[in-house]
Amino acid sequence: MNKAVSRKIIRYSVCLLIVVLLVFFLPRCMPGDPVQCLVGEDVYVTQEILDTLTIKLGLDKPLYEQFGIYIRGLLTGDLGYSYTRHQTVADLIWSRVPWTLLLTGVAMIIGYAFGILAGTWSGWMSETKRSKVLTAFGVVVSCIPPYLLGLIFFSVFVYQLGWFPYKGFYETPDLFSVAYHMALPILTLALFVFVRNLIIMRGSVLTEKNQLYPQFAKSLGIPRNKIIYGHVLKNAILPIVTHFAIDFGFILSGALFIEIIFSLNGLGRVMYTAILNLDYPVLSGLFLVIAIMVICANLAADILYGIIDPRVKRGEEE
Amino acid sequence: MKFDRRYILPLLLIAVLLIAAVFPGVFAPYEAAERDATYQAPSAEHLLGTDNMGKDIFSLLIYGARWTLIIGFSSGILAIIMGTAIGLLAGWRKGIPDEFLMGTTDIVLILPKIPLVIILAAYLGPSPWVLILVLGLLSWESIARVVRSKVIQIRSSNYILAARCLGFSDAKIMVREILPIVFPVIVPKFVLVTAAAMISEASLAFLGLSDPMMVSWGGMISDAFTYSGFLRGMWYWWLPPALCIILGVLAITSLAFIHERGVREVVQL
Repeated sequence: MNKAVSRKIIRYSVCLLIVVLLVFFLPRCMPGDPVQCLVGEDVYVTQEILDTLTIKLGLDKPLYEQFGIYIRGLLTGDLGYSYTRHQTVADLIWSRVPWTLLLTGVAMIIGYAFGILAGTWSGWMSETKRSKVLTAFGVVVSCIPPYLLGLIFFSVFVYQLGWFPYKGFYETPDLFSVAYHMALPILTLALFVFVRNLIIMRGSVLTEKNQLYPQFAKSLGIPRNKIIYGHVLKNAILPIVTHFAIDFGFILSGALFIEIIFSLNGLGRVMYTAILNLDYPVLSGLFLVIAIMVICANLAADILYGIIDPRVKRGEEE
Repeated sequence: MKFDRRYILPLLLIAVLLIAAVFPGVFAPYEAAERDATYQAPSAEHLLGTDNMGKDIFSLLIYGARWTLIIGFSSGILAIIMGTAIGLLAGWRKGIPDEFLMGTTDIVLILPKIPLVIILAAYLGPSPWVLILVLGLLSWESIARVVRSKVIQIRSSNYILAARCLGFSDAKIMVREILPIVFPVIVPKFVLVTAAAMISEASLAFLGLSDPMMVSWGGMISDAFTYSGFLRGMWYWWLPPALCIILGVLAITSLAFIHERGVREVVQL
């Protein structure tokens, strides 16, 4: 275990702690009866349930004991119970997570692959007209919030052209039907990922271009494509990995919005109905799960970075 | 310094938005709360038709500029003040303060912002001030980073050493000597944070997490989405506010792009 990695792990743990504390304290610090905030506002439950819940969560006990009960619950996978949906939050979230991960995963693979390749090309050929057009397109698209991108695609391809289905309900897990329903949302999210990486990669290649090694490779007579994709790309890819930390959170949030637009059965839909019903247990659980997903992704990126760039392993950060 | 002609178009756009935000009453044909027959198609009376409440869409579009800009710029200003202060302190005082501040920066960086704003807005109630506070308090980390690296870069230069030898206080050196050098680095960041806040505001309003009394572009799109504006094919309901958001964000970000001369910085959005 080296110093850089252990420092990262401490930071991630603190981050997780902050998220847990936030989820714990928000309902308990709100004015009024905390039990109402833990149940949700727009739901009617009998006094009896409220009383049993008060005892179960220890709301009549001091805060530190409540926290103990809460943490014990979390460790056993108990995220609370949604009285609006009559379902435990954990069940609700776990049944939807695979769909969101499918959307995010596929879109990220497409977006990253094409974004990196196109960005490298665009950075190397930055003087050509085609590259300038591509960059301008990237900048414009990157200024569109993902849900608007989804709305525009929805209105054009679903409403006007009728190429894709209106609703994303796929009850039968048939591969073709899933692909048919997921194609447009994946494309939308992939485009969002694509332009971000295109822009990062382009900038990174532009700085690499001025180094001496590509010129040296050129003078050795190495074919252009091999220089660009074999040597320059490898060096220029580091910022992509660094930015993964910020980007993953954004891509995931973008995925949630896109799911709302296309009525997909993922976490986004859960979040939307939870917001409309002020279903606090679900919102808290979602926030916690999303935060854990983001932290895991960051940890993965750090490990990957150590493999790609050996300087990090030796602790020569910055 | 020669004025770059590429600034004209974005600045013009921002000027138009600002004028609309400050004097909406002059340009809007109707009051924001005025109601007529619902779901009207565009006509001479209602340039973009009316929405589900019978409000004139064109007037709402003009009134919507105000909150979008207020939220964007206020969060930008808040973030810039925090980011600069933290970056200056971290860069100037090495060691434990630096470690601590950069650790905090890392933590703020990882926190998933949109879900966090959603949960806060859900608990605290939809209010523009909550939005400004949260967006501002969560966007300073990239500013703190650039400021810190710039400060580290210049802290050992001779003129700073001279100032220290002359016995100026740390605070005075930071404000008089370092801040002017750091300033050009902050401006494009400010612009990007503002644009990002506008995007976040539009996204939250779409989820219905904005004050219903507050006219905003995101809220208009949300209404069109919830009250069957799509099924009715009322593109003139949701497309204009969408274009306003995109153009507004584009105008503001392109200022940073032109300034930076490289497009890499947009990543921070």
